Amino acid sequence: MTSYTEKIQEAAKRLLKEGKVDMVIGFRRGSVPMMNQPHYVKSAEEAEALIWDSHCGLNLANYLTDREDKVGIVAKGCDSRNIANHIVENKINREQVYIIGVPCTGMVDRHKLPKMVEGDIIEVAEDGDAITVKTVNGDTKNFNKADVLQQNCADCSHRNPVIYDEMIADPVEEQTDTDMFASVREIEAMSPDEKWDYFEDLISSCIRCYACRNACPLCYCPLCFVDESDPQWVGKSQDPIDVRTFHWLRAYHCAGRCTDCGACERVCPMGIKIREFTKKLNKDCYELYGWEAGLTTEERPPLDTYRPNDPEDFIK
Amino acid sequence: MITFKLNGQTVQGEEGQYLLQVAENYGVYIPTLCNHKALEPAGMCRLCTVELFDGRRTKFVTACNYPIWEGMEIQTDTEVVHEGRKLIVEMLLARCPEVPVIQKLAKQYGIEEPRFEAEDNTCILCGLCTRVCERMGNGAITLTNRGVDLKVDTPFHLQTDICQGCGACAFLCPTGHITLDKINRLITTHQPEMIKSEYDVGMRGRKPIYVPYPQAVPNTPAIDRDVCMHFKTGGCQICKDICPVNAIDHTMADETVELNVGSVILAPGFEPYDPANLDFYNYDHPNVITSMEMERMLSASGPTGGHLVRLSDHQAPKRIAWLQCVGSRDMNRCNNAYCSSVCCMYAIKEAVIAKEHAGDDLDCSIFFMDMRTPGKDFEKFYEDAKNKSGVNFVRSRIHTIAPVPETDELELRYVTESGDPLTENFDLVVLSIGLQMPQEIIELSRKLDIDLTPGNFCDTKTFSPVSTSREGIFACGAFQGPKDIPQSVIDSSAAAAAAAESLADARNTTTKEKEVVPERDIAGERPKIGVFICRCGTNIAGVVDVPEVVAYTRGLPFVEFVDENLFTCSQDTQDNMSATIAEKGLNRIVVAACTPKTHEPLFQETLINAGLNKYLFEMTNIRNQDSWVHKNNPEMATQKAKDLVRMAVAKVARMEPLQESELPMNHAAMVVGGGISGMAAAKSLADQGFETHLIEKSGCLGGQAKNLYHTAKGESVSENLEEMVASVQGHDHIRLHLNTGIQNVEGFVGNFQTTLSENGKEEKLEHGAVILATGATPYTPTEYAYGEDPRILTSLELDKKFNENDPALEKINGAAFIQCVGSREPGRMYCSRVCCTHSIENALELKRRNPEMNVYILYRDIRTYGEKEYLYKQARQEGVIFIRYALDDKPQVAVNDDGLSITVTDHILNRPIELNVDLLTLATAIIPSADEAFANLFKIPMNEDGFFIERHAKLGPAESATDGVFLCGMAHYPKPIDESIAQAKAAVSRAVTLLSQESIHSSGTIAEVDPTKCAACGVCISVCPYSAPSFIEEGRFAGKARINPALCKGCGLCAASCRSGAIHLKGFDTDQIMSQIFEMDEAV
Amino acid sequence: MSDKEPKILSFLCNWCSYGAADLAGVSRMEYPSNIRVIRIPCTGRMSAKFILAGLRQGADAVWVSG
Repeated sequence: MTSYTEKIQEAAKRLLKEGKVDMVIGFRRGSVPMMNQPHYVKSAEEAEALIWDSHCGLNLANYLTDREDKVGIVAKGCDSRNIANHIVENKINREQVYIIGVPCTGMVDRHKLPKMVEGDIIEVAEDGDAITVKTVNGDTKNFNKADVLQQNCADCSHRNPVIYDEMIADPVEEQTDTDMFASVREIEAMSPDEKWDYFEDLISSCIRCYACRNACPLCYCPLCFVDESDPQWVGKSQDPIDVRTFHWLRAYHCAGRCTDCGACERVCPMGIKIREFTKKLNKDCYELYGWEAGLTTEERPPLDTYRPNDPEDFIK
Repeated sequence: MITFKLNGQTVQGEEGQYLLQVAENYGVYIPTLCNHKALEPAGMCRLCTVELFDGRRTKFVTACNYPIWEGMEIQTDTEVVHEGRKLIVEMLLARCPEVPVIQKLAKQYGIEEPRFEAEDNTCILCGLCTRVCERMGNGAITLTNRGVDLKVDTPFHLQTDICQGCGACAFLCPTGHITLDKINRLITTHQPEMIKSEYDVGMRGRKPIYVPYPQAVPNTPAIDRDVCMHFKTGGCQICKDICPVNAIDHTMADETVELNVGSVILAPGFEPYDPANLDFYNYDHPNVITSMEMERMLSASGPTGGHLVRLSDHQAPKRIAWLQCVGSRDMNRCNNAYCSSVCCMYAIKEAVIAKEHAGDDLDCSIFFMDMRTPGKDFEKFYEDAKNKSGVNFVRSRIHTIAPVPETDELELRYVTESGDPLTENFDLVVLSIGLQMPQEIIELSRKLDIDLTPGNFCDTKTFSPVSTSREGIFACGAFQGPKDIPQSVIDSSAAAAAAAESLADARNTTTKEKEVVPERDIAGERPKIGVFICRCGTNIAGVVDVPEVVAYTRGLPFVEFVDENLFTCSQDTQDNMSATIAEKGLNRIVVAACTPKTHEPLFQETLINAGLNKYLFEMTNIRNQDSWVHKNNPEMATQKAKDLVRMAVAKVARMEPLQESELPMNHAAMVVGGGISGMAAAKSLADQGFETHLIEKSGCLGGQAKNLYHTAKGESVSENLEEMVASVQGHDHIRLHLNTGIQNVEGFVGNFQTTLSENGKEEKLEHGAVILATGATPYTPTEYAYGEDPRILTSLELDKKFNENDPALEKINGAAFIQCVGSREPGRMYCSRVCCTHSIENALELKRRNPEMNVYILYRDIRTYGEKEYLYKQARQEGVIFIRYALDDKPQVAVNDDGLSITVTDHILNRPIELNVDLLTLATAIIPSADEAFANLFKIPMNEDGFFIERHAKLGPAESATDGVFLCGMAHYPKPIDESIAQAKAAVSRAVTLLSQESIHSSGTIAEVDPTKCAACGVCISVCPYSAPSFIEEGRFAGKARINPALCKGCGLCAASCRSGAIHLKGFDTDQIMSQIFEMDEAV
Repeated sequence: MSDKEPKILSFLCNWCSYGAADLAGVSRMEYPSNIRVIRIPCTGRMSAKFILAGLRQGADAVWVSG
């Protein structure tokens, strides 16, 4: 990973020096472990702050929305798919972005790891697939990275960027034996009552902080439906109907566009598995239209388009 | 007015009214068995007995025939009254123990067994029958005898010819004593029959007063004078008494109207062939039906409610057979040698729908000679019917339908393709009957001095397909030849264009300007809502408690005025409404009445006349979707009406005045493509006085037709083409642009700006409409050794040789044609429509040049639809040999030194045979010329085969979904010259509806973007089927979306798709629909 | 509406289903009264939000037809 960091810094410096971009968006180390922060680098000198490790789980495409300058951006597989989606949805021009592609081996689950150790984590180090965690108690524990990955990373089949201007390393091997929709199938098999209970339980702890929406690169509307007052789609309260309405509509707004980057889950302070909503829609889009979001800049998502042979079995 | 007391309540009635009528008005129930509002009351049953106090003493009177008077006091509900009624019911029950209506009454009065001796009568002597019979003007039955022998009968108990069998007595008889069967057996000497519903092809009855079918235009009832009793006896006229608006006038007589017109269009239609005289089909068997009967049976509004049954026992059929070509392609048993064109496709459709209705267990078989599905997308439908729906297709002509004795089944015997005889039984056999000209139309044609074809269809020429032999008279639809809906619609528009060409000078000479009432500005006013609730006679008020709804509505927010009307749509109510709007200063109007689908425009007109913007209006549906469908639940219906009115009030409060923007119309037209279709379109436009630009990419006009030799009717193509080219080239209103391509198209309907590249030079063209006639090209075969030998040609190459009069053609000993080269196979699953006729015509031409020549046509199905069938027959008569091959066993072609050798499996011998010929013609597929980039210029979609998709397959066959862009010719689908010209004229006809206007008005109910909320994601641009949204190019909101009001159809797809809620659909805006949802149910 | 019957909110396309509902009336068909119809210009106008709002308003079922 250190080699990635150096390469990223080198690329950022070069691009800024050559004046190819006005700014590079990457990650810098966060103030607490596993919480790397997005970082805007505007001069070659600042590039030293850029890093790369298994805690760069936020989706940097989020920071490209409506930018008018030329931007270099560090992008793993999912970020690049959201950049592609941004280009399709006119959030940025392809010519404005210089994509520094990062072949990704997955991000560590910042909700899961703390539960696997005693006491607060003060440091997480990594060497290849080995993750070493130090806690406030002075304990050190070793993990295999595969065991502590975010679920979306464990299931990921697009680890390498789909569009880029340069790659900082050779592509990693894509995972082919994963089943990204296993949990959706489990839910689909439930009875309506079980489903209801499952989702009620899932969102019962939601505090409506909208961190999931804010972290999502798809949520760029000037006025979000949750903030509209006439008509008021969603109440501002913790009323369960309002909470449900928010989650369902948010998921629907992502239908056919979600790249399953996991930023929403990562940022959720309550650790809610929000992807259970979007994944079902991803599965439908995949099965009905053969569509995975963000793999092309040539085509719009399936819900934006009509083809005479679109499946219409849902019409009874 | 007479005032009296009814059960203690003070009530009022009109002088001359009977007590029962007033009680009914006040909702006081009094039982009766002998009263009917159409008849004078007789006080026969005595059930309506009530207690009367006349100031001095109490007595009992029958309410039905007791006239009201001032100051009387009536009690309907006292114990004495009930005692008396109970006794009457008890006696009636003893007389008629088996009559349901009496049993029901007895139950109500708690009578289990009557104390009197039981009889077995069914007549209660109420006299409704005799009174109605008299009213009918007949008086065929009466009460005969006296005392205990009193009964209803004819004089002397003899059947009488005075009884017309109208059935009114049976209709009114409350007990079921009189039945239609008894009328036939005992009363009348006539033999009355059910009045058959024409719409339901006799599968059910209809009344003498009837609306022909639910979608009839005008949708008003008519009286059938042939069966109406009034016109037979002078009596009845009950309808006149009952109609609350006095609309019925029996004295109206037929009028002779003389019209002074410049042209006449004939669209008299056809009649379905009547199979009754084909005795071997046993059409009189209940389970042998025609396709028309099948259509009605499959319809949800049909006689069986959409249930598929065999008519003998109303059980669901398990096996259904369709027999094709009944009354078509048949000279032996009827005189219809032509193909009826539509039956193959409708039979497939019926079979597929039948299977959809009944599921996979239903076995559907279609017995046919040639499967003829040459229409657009028909071949795919045929393939899907075979492969997906599992319909069986059997190539065999059935000779006899034999009823299987002692069952309801029918036996079909036939020979399979492999030659095996088979016998199968079916529950239902559908005769796919053809189209033919009725005798009266043949006579009409004679009167009009119009030539007919051998099949008695209107004779027209290929290059003037809607012109009859008499100048100024045009024809369209099946009168011109058997055809389906799209072709009929094309022809009808074409005939309109042809008529308009000759009448162009008269356009707009008799128009009048309408006076405009200035619109009141309601800005800043709080909503003042007026609600008009319609009783619709008794249609609504008979079920919904209208006064209750009115009272309820008064309490709704912003409601300023509420009124109920007998008929809100009547002229006087409209005038009152206008006056009320002005008087009360109303600024929003709700009408609760029938349905906005029919009456919204009328009420909006009233708003306009009252100076209100017509969009400050909402109509809610308390008749069609309330009183009519919940007539047995008045309470719920009233509740629903309140809810619906509340929802409408909530919505209308949020309505804003909407403006219809007015855009100028550029009257020039552009036609793209200089082939036959394009030239026909340009000429028709120019003849109607519109400046027309004809764009052709090559250096000359004529297109593919330059290669064609003869039409199917034997006319020379080159001669007609020359004439056409000359008329286009010399036309004052046509500007020719040869060697011209289209680089860019901007703008929209009425205001297109097209950039041309003419001989390499750029030119900008402004025009109001476009007709695309970009045509098609022949497929270049890679199969059948094409290109390896000069003796292997395509159809067009053979035409060229005919045109050049190649002498080598006469020396040929053997010639073969292979059909469906590149058509009707995976990857190009469509029939090219023209090739069968073309090859047969060419085969005949070879025979004409050398009658000794052996000519073979290798085909899959011969598709000489319509009267082209004659050519097929002629070819067989002249010795052309037809050999059918299968898609999976195509002919093999080998090139030898001395000739061409074709190996094909003969369908009769079922073994390969070898044909040695000197000429092989390949009937190649027709491929559209335009590409996707071209289609994108005009924003019109293409189907997977590359043909432009029309606006509506049936109703908009010459238009595209983009306003102002029209289609014709081969770019739409392969078609022969006559159909291409008809479609070109149809496209012109549709285009002229726009071009002839001074300006175009957009609707007010269109979408609009709030740019401050727009996220510029582009979903609206992607989803809009009409290309109305685009990105703003400059200014403060550059990059945000805007919607062109001229293109927006107000469907709301964009508004629903807009995640950020930036798009407002005026008239159906989010807050308006939400307000309806919020008011849906008021915790009732 | 009655307590026992489900409340149905329906959104009908002006061009087809709304006309069909009218035709049901013209044909004097009968159906339960526990349905409230909102006419929309096209089912394309239908937003998931309307369905959720309807359910929230107390509808037991929402029927979209077009």
